[in-house]
Amino acid sequence: MKRAGRKFSQYWRGNVMFRVGFVLTAVMLLFVLIGAIHTPYPPTAMNEGAKLSGFTPAHPLGTDHLGRDMLSRLMTGAGTTLLIALGTVLIGAFCGSVIGALCGYFGGLLDESLMRIVDALFAFPSILLALLFVSLFGSGRYHVIIALGIAFIPSFARTVRGEFLRERGRDYVTSARLHGVSHLRIIFFHILPNAGDVLLSSVLIGFNNAVLAEAGLSFLGIGVQPPDASLGRMLSESQQYLFKAPMSALLPGFLLVWMILGFSLAGEGVRAGER
Amino acid sequence: MNDNALLTVQDLQIDFHDHQTPETAVYDFDLTVFPGEIVGIVGESGAGKSLSALAVAGLLKRHSEIRAGNILFEDEDLLHCGREILRSYQGDEIAVIFQEPMSSLDPLMRVGLQVEESLVVHHPEIDAAERKRRALEAIRSVGMEDAERVYSSYPHELSGGMRQRCMIAAAMIAEPKILIADEPTTALDVTVQAQIIELLKRINREKRTAILFISHDLSLVKQLCERVIVMKDGRIVEEGDTLRIFEHPKHAYTRELISAIPRVEKKEKQAKDQDRDLLLAVSGLDAGYGRIPADNEAGKKRLFSLRADGRQILYDVSFSLHAGEILGLAGESGSGKSTLAKTILGMIPKLRGEIRWEKKSGAAMVFQDPYGSLNPAHTVGWILTEALTKGKRRNFPEDEKALHDRLVQSLEQVELPEAFLERRPSELSGGQRQRVAIAEALISNPDVLIADEPVSALDVTVQAQIITLLEKLREETGIAILIIAHDLRVLYRICDRVLIMKKGRIVEQGNVEKIYFDPQQPYTKELLRAAGIRTNGEPDMTNGSRM
Repeated sequence: MKRAGRKFSQYWRGNVMFRVGFVLTAVMLLFVLIGAIHTPYPPTAMNEGAKLSGFTPAHPLGTDHLGRDMLSRLMTGAGTTLLIALGTVLIGAFCGSVIGALCGYFGGLLDESLMRIVDALFAFPSILLALLFVSLFGSGRYHVIIALGIAFIPSFARTVRGEFLRERGRDYVTSARLHGVSHLRIIFFHILPNAGDVLLSSVLIGFNNAVLAEAGLSFLGIGVQPPDASLGRMLSESQQYLFKAPMSALLPGFLLVWMILGFSLAGEGVRAGER
Repeated sequence: MNDNALLTVQDLQIDFHDHQTPETAVYDFDLTVFPGEIVGIVGESGAGKSLSALAVAGLLKRHSEIRAGNILFEDEDLLHCGREILRSYQGDEIAVIFQEPMSSLDPLMRVGLQVEESLVVHHPEIDAAERKRRALEAIRSVGMEDAERVYSSYPHELSGGMRQRCMIAAAMIAEPKILIADEPTTALDVTVQAQIIELLKRINREKRTAILFISHDLSLVKQLCERVIVMKDGRIVEEGDTLRIFEHPKHAYTRELISAIPRVEKKEKQAKDQDRDLLLAVSGLDAGYGRIPADNEAGKKRLFSLRADGRQILYDVSFSLHAGEILGLAGESGSGKSTLAKTILGMIPKLRGEIRWEKKSGAAMVFQDPYGSLNPAHTVGWILTEALTKGKRRNFPEDEKALHDRLVQSLEQVELPEAFLERRPSELSGGQRQRVAIAEALISNPDVLIADEPVSALDVTVQAQIITLLEKLREETGIAILIIAHDLRVLYRICDRVLIMKKGRIVEQGNVEKIYFDPQQPYTKELLRAAGIRTNGEPDMTNGSRM
């Protein structure tokens, strides 16, 4: 914990990008957290009398085509998107790290065979892979998480493998071997902490891709199902009313940009700090 | 100011902007170089010697800045003359060679073109044929006979010594008035180092080129320079004629530096009793990397057979190591010293021969680079615990208190305080790191310590401390030490016996006194001569007090 605090202050002092990214992300998280506790209206409650209303005192950000409160839907929708992105990145980072670590550390036949599978996975666009998965197993947010998570494994595996290839030749690894420390312990307790910075920055950047992928899937109608809200879902629903009520598309779009800007700036900041 | 001085530097102050607040790296640096003179700047890392010299050449890097002072070259004020004029001096009148011949040559460009580059820049009137003629002449003049081949080679086709010669040829082709040499031999083997020093001397003699020689190695400076400047922490602490500095150093730091050079003079080491326990016996050892072609397979190529692309490194190596003994292993880079250490430790499989450990308990290793051998992600306490418990807490069944005491005791052994348990490697100096690395190696109570170049990455004064520490540990624990080093002076200081290795074979071995003062093999003699050690009874020339 002390170490995390020191790392944080190192990044914070390190550069402006990290600071701006961190503040943007923090504000976004606050918005989503409030939404999880309390929204002005239930996000799926329809108000027949006020469809596509503009900004009114009752609905400060207006309503959508079914008369649902935009602010409430944005709060929960952003939360759903974040949650899916988080799950995706966790699955991708965890499986990817394990595969990358084993391949990079042991090399040889294991590396060759596992990495070829990963390469094959890499060759599919992640949306296509998710499409395949969802059409096989059905849609819904948990299926989306698993599908995107699998699609995200290759990039993490590649990054972590590269780190391990570099670190495994260092003397501290040789030294640990000579002391009789087991291979698995060397991988996870000796080398992995040294790949922490790289992993953190690829997690933050992966988060972006996950947010976009969720939006894409939901936009195509195979992600989050109505009446639930997610940013992609909201964009998709708003497209028919783009000219009548531009705000119903602009607001979720704006939140999406905000979210991605926050993560990518923070990620870049971490990466700059490594140098 | 002196009228006929070639280069005059006055009150130079250089600041670093790497951190939040600027730090002064060089204070009040004064320097005068006369035409045809060789001036040395010595000091340990961080003393500001390279920075000062680079400032003279106008080559300061992004984070450093000249805050005050004057640099006069002949009559030109180099600090205020403007970029264009400064550039007309760089590479033409003022030439620089760097430490790493590997990285200071462009790997994608033929060497010849790099040698003649300063002519292209400064003398566009010279045509291509004439440039090539001069380049060939320059390459020949730095001692490479097959100039045509070198001219059309790429850097990776040349050895380290040849690359450094090419750098010197490139620097000398425009016949500069001053050559700034920043640690030009540090990355080279001793015998090559001696040749480069000879070459610099010859250039100075024949062309009257002044040389500003920057080095951490006092014995080199003493061989080459007429005048020496000693720097510490950004300041000049002493300056004077080389002989005077070495014979009557005034400043305490200079005295410390000089006394840190291990002396090689005949001493009566107590004859170690020969009947001590044998710990390790190696006989007829062959080893190497990869799949090595067997004799009867050579030349045969079969489809789908695994390619035998390995290389044998060690040939018929035999030696023994006894309890409480310090055995030195000397040789140039590529001679197989580190491979031998790794083979003994079982990290490289042996091909033939025998490695016999007489006792059950094991060996531990100390590496050259303490920046790489300590895990940067963990604290010293964690690293030591890991070495003690082999990563499993149940291997050390006593309670936390006992564990803590054991760690503290282990730090005490290498003369570090308890507080270091909480520190990370990045918070330690090079010498402190190497102490921690030694503590890490010793914590599992091995019988044998294998130390691969344990002091060559350290400053001289720190080297002396680490060597003293190893001697003390041997006295206290009776551990046997196999120490690998290219520095023959270091080995003389600490070893009972030495092995001399060349191209994977042991060419000579025996008692230090015998090897150093009565060497039998020509290669041993060459190594000793290159290190400035006289063998036939003459006193050691590199240490002032006996001259």
